[in-house]
Order: sequence, then C-alpha cells, then structure tokens
Amino acid sequence: MATANRDVREIIREGPLRRHEILKVLEDGPRTVPEIAQAIGAPTHEAMYWVMDMRKYGWVTELPDPDDDGLFSYRALERKGA
Amino acid sequence: MDYDALVVGSGIGGMESALKLGDMGYKVLVVEKEASIGGKMILLSKVFPTLDCASCISTPKMAATIHHPNIKVLTYAEVEQIERDPSGRFHATIRKNPRFVDEDACTGCQQCEMACTVAVPDQFNSDLVARRAAYIAFPQAVPKKAVVDRPGTSPCTFTCPAGIKAHGYVSLTRSGEYEKAFNLILETTPLVGSLGRACFAPCEEECSRGSLEGPVPIRRIKRFIADTHYASGRPLGVQPQADQGKRIAIVGSGPAGLTAAWQLRLMGYGVKVFEAASVPGGALALTIPAYRLPGDVVAQDVQNLRDIGVEIEVGHRVDDLEALHASGFDAVLVATGTPRSGRLGVAGEDLQGVAPALRFLEDTKLGRAGSLGGKHVVVVGGGNVAIDAARSARRLGATVEQVCLEQRREMPAFDWEIDEAIAEGVVLHDGWGVASVLGEGGVAGIALKRCTQVFDEAGRFSPAYDETVRRELSCDAVIVAIGMGPDTEAFGGTVRLQRNRTVATDKQTLQSSVPYIFACGDVVTGATMITQAVGSGRRAAYMIDRYLSGEDFEADAFDARMPKVEPADVLRRQKSHSRKDPLLSGKETLAEPRDFHELEAPLTEDEAHYSAGRCLDCGVCSECHECVNTCPADAIHLDMRPETIEAEVGTVIVSTGFKLFPADLKPQYGYGRFKNVITGMQMDRLLAPTRPYNKVLRPGDGRIPDRIAYVMCTGSRDETVGNPLCSKICCMYSIKQNQLIMGNLPTADVTVFTIDVRTAGKGYDEFYVQSKAMGVNFIKGRISEIRELQNGNLIVRYESIEDGGGAREEEFDLVVLAVGVQPNLDTRRLFAGDELSHDAYYYVEETDEDLSPGETSIRGVFVAGAASGAKDIPESILHAGAAVAQAAAYIEETRVSV
Ligand SMILES: Cc1cc2nc3c(=O)[nH]c(=O)nc-3n(C[C@H](O)[C@H](O)[C@H](O)COP(=O)(O)OP(=O)(O)OC[C@H]3O[C@@H](n4cnc5c(N)ncnc54)[C@H](O)[C@@H]3O)c2cc1C
Ligand code: SF4
Ligand code: SF4
Ligand code: SF4
Repeated sequence: MATANRDVREIIREGPLRRHEILKVLEDGPRTVPEIAQAIGAPTHEAMYWVMDMRKYGWVTELPDPDDDGLFSYRALERKGA
Repeated sequence: MDYDALVVGSGIGGMESALKLGDMGYKVLVVEKEASIGGKMILLSKVFPTLDCASCISTPKMAATIHHPNIKVLTYAEVEQIERDPSGRFHATIRKNPRFVDEDACTGCQQCEMACTVAVPDQFNSDLVARRAAYIAFPQAVPKKAVVDRPGTSPCTFTCPAGIKAHGYVSLTRSGEYEKAFNLILETTPLVGSLGRACFAPCEEECSRGSLEGPVPIRRIKRFIADTHYASGRPLGVQPQADQGKRIAIVGSGPAGLTAAWQLRLMGYGVKVFEAASVPGGALALTIPAYRLPGDVVAQDVQNLRDIGVEIEVGHRVDDLEALHASGFDAVLVATGTPRSGRLGVAGEDLQGVAPALRFLEDTKLGRAGSLGGKHVVVVGGGNVAIDAARSARRLGATVEQVCLEQRREMPAFDWEIDEAIAEGVVLHDGWGVASVLGEGGVAGIALKRCTQVFDEAGRFSPAYDETVRRELSCDAVIVAIGMGPDTEAFGGTVRLQRNRTVATDKQTLQSSVPYIFACGDVVTGATMITQAVGSGRRAAYMIDRYLSGEDFEADAFDARMPKVEPADVLRRQKSHSRKDPLLSGKETLAEPRDFHELEAPLTEDEAHYSAGRCLDCGVCSECHECVNTCPADAIHLDMRPETIEAEVGTVIVSTGFKLFPADLKPQYGYGRFKNVITGMQMDRLLAPTRPYNKVLRPGDGRIPDRIAYVMCTGSRDETVGNPLCSKICCMYSIKQNQLIMGNLPTADVTVFTIDVRTAGKGYDEFYVQSKAMGVNFIKGRISEIRELQNGNLIVRYESIEDGGGAREEEFDLVVLAVGVQPNLDTRRLFAGDELSHDAYYYVEETDEDLSPGETSIRGVFVAGAASGAKDIPESILHAGAAVAQAAAYIEETRVSV
C-alpha cells in the first residue's frame, strides 16, 4: 500500500472510466474493495474512491454484514445512465 | 436604502445574526458564496457536549433564514466590495455567480447529478468521495437546488471554430456513452465522420494536456464516435421541429452549406440544396484525397441530412439567385466555396500537361484520373492542397517533386503533412519560384528562379527573386496549387462582391446586400478550413432563422461561449499529474504508396477510453448536455451568466467564519501521503448520517478500523506552523468523536495523543471524564513521526510525557489529525476606502474585545462568530447576539442623523 499517491482530483476523475471495469468484475458476484482493486489492477485506496462514487450514485450497494476482516462486499445494482 | 443590514456569510454566526435582525423588523440581505447556506455546522455529525444531531438543529435555522419575510438570501454569490459613504451607509457590489439552474423551476430531484459525466472531489465531504459537475451541495442543502460547476469554457470547446462541444463528447466517450456523444456533435453538424478525419483540429493545439505529454486526440475520438454509430446501423436520434411553412435554397453542398441545411431543417424549415458537381459534399467529396477522407464516409454523413428530409439536387449549377427566390424560396444561402485554382501567370502555363490542383484532385477522388506510372510530376505550391496533390500523384504511380516559394519552416502546410509527404517519396525544393513552364505542344520541364523573400516586413505576401539563380527540372506534368478563389461572377449582378470576388456580407449576420440572400463558408472568407466553414454555416442558419421569423438578429447571442479557462490554471488545480502518454499517430506511411486506402488507423474502444481518460476536465462542466436532456423540470440553462448586484445597506455584519488548518503542512504526520491518516473534519463526515461511506471505514481499503489514534493540536499551539494559538474546538470535537466511535464501532480502541486536554465550558469537563470512563485512552505525548506499513496500518512514534518519558511506538489502523482553525483571509479584501483591521493572527480585529465584542475598526461594521477567532457553536451564537445588538443601535443612530 505504500505507493506514491496520485492527486485526489485525478483519481476521482477516473471514476466514470473505471466504473465499466468494476461493473464487469461484479458480474461474478459481490466483492470487497481490496478484491475489486486486485481484479482491475489498481491501488486499493483508488478503488475505494471509485466504489464509493458508485455507491453514492446508485451503481452498487453493500451487503448487510462485513466479513471477519471488517470488510464489506459490494454488489451491482440495476441502473442506467452516465 | 435597499436593506438595513448586509450579512456576509451564512454559517451559524451569519444565520443567527440575520434571524435576530429580521425578527427585530430590519430588512436583511445575506450573501453566501457556497450553493447552500449553513456553513460548517450543517456538515457535522453531532455537537458537543449534548450530542444533539447537528443537522437536526441546523436545518430549522436554515429554513427559518431562507423563509423569513425580512431576509433575502443570495447563495452562490460573492461580495466584491463594500464602501462606506459619509452618511454612514454602505454600498455593496455583489457578484451573483450563475448556477446555470433556474432556482424556481428546479425541484431538487438530483437527476442531473445522476446523469452528469464529470466527477470532481466533493468539498462538502472533505474530498472523501466524488460529486458531479452538476450537483446539489448536500442532502439538507438550503435552497435544495442544483448548481452546475462551470468556471468557464474548456480550451478545446472554446477554440473549435465550428462550435462543437469537444470536451462534452470526450467526457461522454469516457463514460461509454458513444451514441450520446454522436448526438451531441449532431447538435452542431451532421458531418461527424468527415470532421473526425479531415479536420485540422485546432482544439488539440489548445488542449491543456498538451503541455504535459501531448494533447488529448480529440479529433480521433470524434472519428471513433462516428465509426461506432455508423457501424451500429442505428437510426438517427434527432428529429426536425414542426414545419415552419417556409423554404430555403442553399447553393453549394460543402461543409458550410450542408451544416446550414442541417440546422435549418432541424428548426423546421424546408431545405433544398443545389450542387453543381455530380456528388454532394464540396471539398469533402471532391478534393480531400481518399487516403485522408474516404468517399463512403462523406456519403454516410450526407445521408444524415437526407434522413431528416433535406433535399439535395446534384448536377445543378445555380447562376441566378433571384430566380431561386422567385421560384418560391423565402431565403437563399450562397455556400459555393472557392472552387477556382489560382494561376501562375507565366509563359507555358497553358501547355498540355499543366493542371490546376483542384481539377486533378477531383478527377482523382472521383476515379477519373488515369495512372501516372512512369511519369514525372512537378507540383507547385507549399500549402495543404499542394501536399494533397503531391501525395495523390505518388499514389497514381508518379515520381514527384514539389516546388514552393517558402523555406520549409515558412510553408503554410502543417509540419506533419510535409513529413509524411517526404516519407512517401515526394522530393521537396523549397525557396524556388516558377519562371516558366517549358515545352512545345506538351510539358517538358519547368524553369525555376531563386525566391529570396516571400513576405515583406509587414508580413504581407510579396515574393522577391534573384533572377540570376536558376535551375530547371524536367517533367511530364505540372500541377499548380497556389491558392484558390471563388467562382461568383454570375452572382455579381445580384449581390455585392468584394474585390477578390468573395460575397460581401455583414460579418456578424452573414446577410448580403440583398436582404433575403445570405452567404457563408469560404465564398465569404476566402479559403479556410472545414471546421471554419461548419461554424460559418451554423451561424448563417441561426441568422436566417432570425430573419425569417422577423426578429432582431441579436448576433451577439449566437456565440454562447464563456471566457476560456486557462490551461495554466487547470494544471495548478492538482499538486501532481501522473504521466499518461499519448497514443502513437496510428499512421503508417510507405515510401512507395500505391493506393488510396485510409492511412490513419481507427482507435479501438480501449484506446478511445484511455485517450478520453487523459482529459483534465478544464471547464469542469463539459457541456455534454446530459443534465439538460435529463432534467424533468427543464431547469438547466447553460446560457446564464454572472450578474452584478448593487445594494445600499445600513450596516454590515462580517460572519465569514474560519478555515481549517491544511494538515499536509505537518509532513511528519503523512496526511495526503498515507491513505489512512485523515482529519477531524473527515471523521465528522464519516460519523454523520449523510456520510460518504456506508459506515466508518478506512479510506485506504474500506476496512472497519479497530485501533484509532487521535493527534491533538494539529496546527495549533505550534510555532513551527506560525500558529501559537489554541483552536479551542479540537479537543472537544475529538472527545465527541471518541464517544460516537465507541457507539458506532463497539469493539474499537481509541487512543488520544495530547499535550493537555482543554475543556473550558459548561459540561465540557464532565464530557471528557465520561469518555475516559467509556474507555478512551488519553496519552500525554508529542508525536514525532508517523510511518505507513505495507498493509496501510500506521506506526505512531511519540515522546511520552508521563511514565518516565522516552520514545515509544504503537500501531494503529487509522489516525485522525485534530486539525485546528485558521483565519479566513477573504475578509481582507472586502472593504474599499476604510480599512478593516486584522489582529496579529489575521482574524478580524475587535477594537474593544472586552467591552464591546463584535465592534470592528470601521464604524457600522461588526463581526460575528469565528471570523474574529476560534469559537464553538454556542460561543458563535452568543457573539452574533452581541454584534446584532450593536448593529441595531447603529442602524437607529444613522437613521436619526440622516
Ligand atoms: C485539397 C484540399 C484539402 C483540404 N483539406 C482540409 C482538411 O484536411 N481539413 C480542413 O479543415 N480543411 C481542409 N480544406 C479546406 C476545406 O475543405 C474548406 O475550408 C471547406 O471545404 C470550405 O467549405 P465551404 O462549404 O465553404 O466550401 P466547399 O467545400 O468548397 O463547398 C462548396 C460547394 O458548392 C458547390 N458550388 C459551387 N458553385 C456552385 C453553384 N453556382 N451552384 C451550385 N453549387 C455550387 C461546389 O461544387 C461545392 O460542392 C482542404 C481544401 C482542399 C481544397
Ligand atoms: S434535474 Fe432539474 S429539477 Fe432535478 S435537481 Fe437537476 S436541475 Fe433541479
Ligand atoms: S453539461 Fe454535462 S458535464 Fe455539464 S453539468 Fe451537465 S451533465 Fe454535467
Ligand atoms: S484536457 Fe480535456 S477539456 Fe481540456 S482542452 Fe484537452 S480535451 Fe479539452
């Protein structure tokens, strides 16, 4: 995790671009943020911005309970639009 | 007088001041620079020590403020200047920034935000999550109205002569919305595929990314959008408006004529285009070589026009414009371009084998040119057309030499074109003029003379030669590409022409000397570029519509651009930019090109995505029009502009609050570098009901934190950052958060590193004692360093002050920096004339803090809340009361004396 950080603005700007990749990963079922990050080959904290963006705008939602490591899994929701 | 009082800033101090004055019967104007009133309080989780929900106690105050009969609230507005006059009254100049949303129509449904294609950090969530360019500040915003974040027009869109929303289609492509991107371009022109290939892309020259690794390939993205649409076989997503009952004739089917035809047909006019050539498209179809722009692409673009009912008649040369009018057309648009090639004016020019470039290119594009295998061709000219002719002749099998007056660096052709021509075997002789064409009966060669100067000192075209330096080239054919001009003699009896035979029009309205005749494109300007011709066609359509509807032209309204956002300002928004290399050009040139297949490869979907992802969203809003198309209330109006409001007021209350200490100024704590080091304000957001995540989670990986550390006095009581003051609120908000964390995450351990805990206030110490009893561990110690581990955990190294001292280390999942407050320096430029004094720490100075709190150095100006120094909510409310009492006294006093 100790990698050089990109500017937050730059990470967030990529949200709409990364959304397609993340939705593809979630086609196989709910995933935690570190699992999503690994699947799309991105740093975990960057995936966190994108998943929380998608949660805020109705693309994903969390399962009710976290796993033993304290991680929630997120699943895709039906939604259209940009 | 317009208002008794002006309140600047609408946090709790400002709202309280306005409400009290309003209740006393005074008329109050509140000016708030954000999109909602409420200040910082509305963003908090709960308040200490009562643990009342912050939004539950704030929202009623916000609602009362906005609905108060004596209070007028301006949000998204800034006070530019306030000046006191001799009578003791104040004159305020206020800039109302455009929301681009009609506040009366907007219902706050948030559909615009859901549809918007641009993501930026959400300042109301302390950048923990994204918001959109179109957004509602936060769920309890008052007024709950959307706003579009749009500081100006993006450089690409600003530069496009056609008026295409370049940034808009780039952001739609990034979102995977290719069909919407296609429709966005159709708002301007139907020639999407042609522009995606043959436009010289002035947008890319201005692209902000250009000063990093290279511009976004805006044109190639357009080609991708066009190819994707045409490959899908989808019907057009646009329809003309209801029939207007009027008909327009358009003469010429180049990009100018076709764009005007498209626009006018969409407005509901009957449109017929007359074209002299055998195919429609003008230069697109006739002269731009197929290796740059294949004929079937032009045909697809032209089909768009037919699909919406534009009639196109080819093989019909128009010479009599009046006759067209007489035959029932209400207006006539001349868009005949510059189809005549310039002449050399030298001996031998009329020999068999000398051809004007436009005829050669047209014959080539329409398949009428024969092979030039074994022939030797000389092309004369240094511009784009000469290059096109030379490269075309290579493809027909000739060996080609190109001669031009200019030195290579002066040639009007683009560098990349010249490079490509040379790579394809064209031999360039720069700095030569033509003395004569040699031969008897047919071309045998060409005689050249040294050109010593092309332009005079004033930059005018004025070639000079050294007649003594000569050379000859032998050849079988000469192609002349030295300029183009209009073919308008036939129109001369009807409309006024300029000396160069272009049609004379009003620059803005494009109306000719005959009111019903308009002209656009190169026939007005002389030879330019496709994208300029498209822009001119769009303008002509707008003006013809105004003319036919009997309205004023209002020509200024045609250009909807805002001032350009400067690339340097765009780059400054980020601390760093990671490297994202541009794609290679996608062109493979051959030394022996033998056919006209398209040279440039299309972008794959991944490449288009990647390239669109390099865009920096310069103007924030991309003008993709998704919000406009989505809003059910039709509330979004991107044509709104800033307004200046002048107000005369009796007194001023400054309640602009405070700023938070930027935690990255303490680099040893790692804020901004370590993902799980956050600020106190960020923790308040994580604990608030409207939190950015689904629970209190670490930003680094979304894990629920078990061990949480607090670092008190971050940026306060700290000479190293120039702030020896105690911020008063951080101890108490940290203790509040400790208790809320215990409630939210029952298994979490909370450790607070502190110099000493300051809890002056009613019930405050009890609150502190209570949190110790709940298990919060307070350690007296100074943090010397924080380190990040591979798993995102943090090692806190501290000097213990108790238990015998010494350096110790402890591991945590999450570290919260209890950042302190800083003055808001906005107050320093509020007043003109009298100076508003500030104290040694740059807070607004109270001239007699002990006896009359709230009084400032300017008579009649009062300060309320944290603008004068750190205060918590109850103190700010009390302080506002003190300011209001004095402000009321001042209003009465000046009322009596005026
Ligand atoms: C070889 C060449 C390459 C170029 N390459 C590029 C490029 O890559 N990118 C770029 O941006 N620009 C390029 N340009 C410039 C660009 O083509 C012009 O700026 C643009 O086409 C001008 O558009 P227009 O509609 O005004 O005129 P035109 O495209 O010339 O269209 C005028 C039309 O009117 C018709 N017409 C003329 N007289 C009559 C009449 N009396 N009755 C009926 N019809 C008539 C003509 O046949 C023609 O079809 C190039 C130009 C040439 C010649
Ligand atoms: S979609 Fe329209 S009505 Fe809804 S919030 Fe946006 S601007 Fe307001
Ligand atoms: S025009 Fe597009 S980018 Fe701009 S606010 Fe609307 S949806 Fe967002
Ligand atoms: S970075 Fe994006 S918005 Fe800015 S000029 Fe380039 S393409 Fe346009």
